[in-house]
Amino acid sequence: MLRAWLVAILLALSAAGCAGVKPYQRENLSRRSMTADRDKGERRFEQHFRGAREGADGGTGEPGGGCGCN
Amino acid sequence: MQLTAPAAVLATLALAAAATPVRADGEVAVRGAYYKERSTRVEQPMMDARFDAGDDAELDTHVLVDAITSASVSSGAAGDPFTEHRWEFGGGYNRQLGILRLGGVARYSTESDYRSIFGGVNGQLDLADKNTTVGLAINGGHDNIDNAGLQGGLAPRIEGTLDTLMASASFSQILTRNLLIGVTYDFARLSGFQQNPYRTVVAGGVAERERHPSLRQRHAFYANAKEYVPATRSTLIAGYRFYFDDWGIKAHTPELRLVQALPREIALAVRYRYYWQSKADFYKEIYDSNDPMVEPYLSDDVKLSHFTGQTYGAQVDVPLSAIGFSGDRGDIRATALFEYVIQNNRFGDGVIAQMALTVPFRY
Repeated sequence: MLRAWLVAILLALSAAGCAGVKPYQRENLSRRSMTADRDKGERRFEQHFRGAREGADGGTGEPGGGCGCN
Repeated sequence: MQLTAPAAVLATLALAAAATPVRADGEVAVRGAYYKERSTRVEQPMMDARFDAGDDAELDTHVLVDAITSASVSSGAAGDPFTEHRWEFGGGYNRQLGILRLGGVARYSTESDYRSIFGGVNGQLDLADKNTTVGLAINGGHDNIDNAGLQGGLAPRIEGTLDTLMASASFSQILTRNLLIGVTYDFARLSGFQQNPYRTVVAGGVAERERHPSLRQRHAFYANAKEYVPATRSTLIAGYRFYFDDWGIKAHTPELRLVQALPREIALAVRYRYYWQSKADFYKEIYDSNDPMVEPYLSDDVKLSHFTGQTYGAQVDVPLSAIGFSGDRGDIRATALFEYVIQNNRFGDGVIAQMALTVPFRY
């Protein structure tokens, strides 16, 4: 599993090396649906609810927990 | 004393906001969230605010209250219905320093039987002319738990603390003018009281209090890809999370989202999420023995069982300019979300509904 992730990261880095996208070419990348397709409050509520109903957590880069949901 | 920490956080945020220039942008979002399943209902009004703090910095803060109504304090067992409230205050600060973005977060949460304080720092580095971004975050938390909400009040007092350390590493890469990918790895180490102070399990023919290990180490890998399709003005988002921990739980979570731009800047999003998890090594519905030498850990917590789930969702986002408002009012966004959650366990299916208004402002 770890090897697959490393390969994916290396592939992405190699792709970056040969095809950089210039700032003036990023109109579509800066659209709201590409940068923040979900609002902060929506994500926080889902993380809270999932933390109280599922055994898995994380992967968001943001801390969950903080409630008596054990 | 419970108000000391949130008051300090809010005072710090207010002072930082007061130090900002007179012309800057900000946004306030007011949201109501609702969740309902067979025996539990959650209502959560919340407010988020974001402010520019100088040319290269941003400040955000939120406050929310949970009203949880459940069949019992142990969430799902038989008993008298009860309602509990939880208040949460949080904030963050980010500053851009050239290609480096540094930030900090703080959060305080309090309810009758649980108090939590959490804080952390994070950094993001832009590389290759901002085609690549790498990030690192370190967070720590301290929780106090007791059984103050016990119905009847005859059982002995149970108290505990829980310390959490979380580290997160992220990487995102622009691949084309329309395609972005990202990976995130989160590690969390939880040490201390991790059982529910109210829940019991049948062991050796009698009802015993849950016994969970005091240490849990959790790992989550998440990868996603976002592609914008100019011909149809659609955004496709695919994500997958693999999770495992040292309690024996593994979980797979693939997810697909489609955000479709409609005329007048209206956006419609649909979502599908699948969830699968294995059970914890020590999970059983009924234990033959309650002897700690035979069964050191006892739990029939549904979250630790094997189950699958699915979520279907739809969301619509409408700027008020689309319905005839002009000027500043036209920039206000109204959002409505509905999701149906299938849970193949004894929690049963649930629904989520959210309504939000996001108001941008200048000051």
